[in-house]
Amino acid sequence: MKKTVAAVYDRRKNKATTRRSQSAATAAWALAFTLNGKRVSKKVKPTQTLLDFLRIEMGLTGTKGACEEGECGSCYVLVDGKPMNSCMMLAPQVQDREVVTIEGLAKGKRLDVIQQKFIECGAVQCGYCTPGLILAAKALLKDNPHPSREEFLVGMEGNICRCTGYNKILRACELAADELGLKK
Amino acid sequence: MTTAKSSSAYETGPMKVVGTGALRLDALGKVTGATKYGQDLFSKKFLFAKVLRAAHPHAEITGIDTRAAKKLPGVVAVLTHKDVAGTNLHGLIRRDQEALCSTKVRYLGDAIAIVVAKNEATAVEALKHIRVDYKPLPAVFNFDDAFKPDAPKIHAEGNVLGEKHLRKGDAAKAMSEAEVVVEDWIQTQTCDHAFLDLEAGRAKWDGKMLVIEVPGQWIHEECRLIALALGLPVEKVRIIQPATGGAFGGREDISIQIYLGLCALKLKGETICMRYSRSESMVVRHKRHPIRIHYKLGAKKDGTLVAAQIKFYVDKGAYASTGIAVMRKASSHATGPYKVPNISVDVIGVFTNNNPCGAMRGFGAAQTAIAYEGLMDRLAVKLGMDKAELRHKNLVKSGDEVTTGQVVPYATAVECFDAVLKKIDWKNRSYATPAPHLKRGYGVSIVCFGLGYGDGFPDASRARCRLMPDGIIEVYSSACDVGQGLINMIAQIAAEEIGVRLEKVRPVLADTMRTPEAGSSSATRQTYFTGSAVHIAAAELKKQLQDIAGTHLKELVYEIKIVDGKAFNYLHPGKRMTLKEIAREGKRRGYSLEALGVYKPPTMPENTATGQSLRAFVTYLFGSHACQLLVDTETGEVKIERYIACHDVGKAINPDQVIGQIQGGVTMGIGMALMEEVVKKNGRILNAGFTDYIVPTIRDVPEIECIVLENPDPGGPFGARGIGEPPLIGCGPAILSAIHDAIGKPIRELPATPERVWRTLAADHP
Repeated sequence: MKKTVAAVYDRRKNKATTRRSQSAATAAWALAFTLNGKRVSKKVKPTQTLLDFLRIEMGLTGTKGACEEGECGSCYVLVDGKPMNSCMMLAPQVQDREVVTIEGLAKGKRLDVIQQKFIECGAVQCGYCTPGLILAAKALLKDNPHPSREEFLVGMEGNICRCTGYNKILRACELAADELGLKK
Repeated sequence: MTTAKSSSAYETGPMKVVGTGALRLDALGKVTGATKYGQDLFSKKFLFAKVLRAAHPHAEITGIDTRAAKKLPGVVAVLTHKDVAGTNLHGLIRRDQEALCSTKVRYLGDAIAIVVAKNEATAVEALKHIRVDYKPLPAVFNFDDAFKPDAPKIHAEGNVLGEKHLRKGDAAKAMSEAEVVVEDWIQTQTCDHAFLDLEAGRAKWDGKMLVIEVPGQWIHEECRLIALALGLPVEKVRIIQPATGGAFGGREDISIQIYLGLCALKLKGETICMRYSRSESMVVRHKRHPIRIHYKLGAKKDGTLVAAQIKFYVDKGAYASTGIAVMRKASSHATGPYKVPNISVDVIGVFTNNNPCGAMRGFGAAQTAIAYEGLMDRLAVKLGMDKAELRHKNLVKSGDEVTTGQVVPYATAVECFDAVLKKIDWKNRSYATPAPHLKRGYGVSIVCFGLGYGDGFPDASRARCRLMPDGIIEVYSSACDVGQGLINMIAQIAAEEIGVRLEKVRPVLADTMRTPEAGSSSATRQTYFTGSAVHIAAAELKKQLQDIAGTHLKELVYEIKIVDGKAFNYLHPGKRMTLKEIAREGKRRGYSLEALGVYKPPTMPENTATGQSLRAFVTYLFGSHACQLLVDTETGEVKIERYIACHDVGKAINPDQVIGQIQGGVTMGIGMALMEEVVKKNGRILNAGFTDYIVPTIRDVPEIECIVLENPDPGGPFGARGIGEPPLIGCGPAILSAIHDAIGKPIRELPATPERVWRTLAADHP
């Protein structure tokens, strides 16, 4: 669209105050970060949550939203290796950071050990909590390859599962830790 | 192993697929994030709908002005009851709830208008511009107020939804003659299903049909309800079930289907999306019935039960939902697994201006179990008798009558109970604790649960099996996999019956255009009903395959066996034919290669005056739980140390998934017993979100030790029964029984939160 002189002038005049006065919801921010190993640059509404950004703008629907208030862990993504509730983060907060979603865990067709163990142990029922739990376990095992039972509980207590009763989930995580331990 | 329905009498080898813990067929998509749930079907190109809810719990609507909202940029349409061409009514048993309210609202979740906009934010904004004028009416929020003769009427016909009575023997006389009588009350709470996958989906009028992709539990019934409400012929409505993240009864009532359907009809060609937020879901959707139960139990001095008099006071909420059926299930399970010759049960359900209450795992039987087991504990204390011994004395055995007068031919309550007592080492249980402020307690419970709807309802499931040209067996069923894993159950039964490997079976589930009606995924019925239908269809298809193979191989048809996808004469296996070859040959000969299985076991209605029926339910399920816990008497906190659950499942089609169901049910039971409660004030839910509505986390759940018994049921596929609800039903009473044991006082109001336990300890009364 051709810009009129007046419009350009108005913008210059308001430049200093634009960032604060312009409706925060409409001003687009240029966001650049690493998503599942790939560099991403995209215009984003600063008020959009990371969860909505990933699901709607990036089409990565493996990250789930269930409570929308940071209680259930369904929306976990790894931000610089730490599990974060993406429903409680705004998209611009991942500027220049590294984000991994459930879609970024498998290497091609080769599943991550934790994914594999979740399948083998029957730790998946409805599957809605599964991506978040797998990422929680991923972060836990990365920091601590041999967690005690208590450390597992600390690492996973931010995730709600309504179907399985957690027993098989814990088993899957412990077996994944064992297998990772053997590899090392 | 031979079975009642097996088509071939020659198969005697061990089963290859049924009874194995085959991995879930849908697990790969779920661990990689590829599986599409309702909310994953959205696109920015689609329109978004949002619903305006009532501002008062009980009010007349005097005017709705949508003009300002319609003018908002980005708003495409604003719809009200005037836009609905059909009855505008829905409800599973009674059509008493308006999809969009016209003249009156009865609770805060009632819908008044729908905004369709270019995006969700605009739709949310537009809701604020709809003006609704109300004339507030006096409201009632509990049973007692609603039951008063002069109470404000919530429905025109009054506040009593219905009553249910059960009479067996002469309870009053037997009670007056009883040597020992215990009497108490119990108040259960309102629970939310709290499945993680919020109500979400999309709809489109594709030129010929209304296509709705929203998770439900009984898609054919939903089609009928949508068609009625919107004034469409039922064959113009198609539901395709997306992946579903849990249901637990919470998707039985219509959720967003009618709203989406209406929008799609009004905006033909457009795809409309919609999702609830967590708080909206909790405010709007039906819940578990809070029930006040008055229970009086009479026995002889030796502990033999002689009479039970029970009254249930049910807060139904604003609409009928499945309330009548829940009330009936409460009454028909009123004495659970115990033989009581004289019973009187009265159930009264009344409307209030609270959330409607309907189906939730346990369905009336869960509340009842808490009452009958609680009273058995009180009786044991009064008699000075061991509570396991008292239970043993009164358990139903094969050939005994249960509450409804139905004779149970194969009762395994005793086996289940003995198994948990042995596992927990009941006789040698120790009350020694690490500190004096900690008290240990042991609880037990026994479940006797009628499977299916029963009560004469024409309950049926249909399934179709088809051999595809590539040698794959497709199994079609409208059964909704809501996470419980019936996809494996169906595939494993078909694979076993036909004689192919599991990966050669492809289940096609829940699309009303393609799959035959299977009834609802509720009442613990899908393994029994749909499993049987698949078994029958697979057996029939197998006969067709044997026919073709026999003719082609020039062998006797009844000597043809199919193993690992190859047909051959089992007496002299030489010539073989693969399923792919059979498919080609069948096509050449013009054979159908397809079979429909219908499973429709009859039940008999309960007598309206006495609640008695020779066959109230198709079959009964038995189970038993034992719990060991510690109560901190300073804080009231409860820590479960050991949990054992034993269930007789007839035959575990997939033992791993059976254990998953047991552990999940117990966990939900832990939530119901110790923490979950929807807190309401004047009809408004104060904890509509996971911050305040507390469900069990990994920290609250101990190792759940499962014992799976397999006493085959003659009516189920390969002898299988079902497992969905009993684990939850057994859990609450076992925990409460253990708390009673630990602190010496019963908890009467659920859930047993630390505060309630502490207050019970601090109170003067017993």
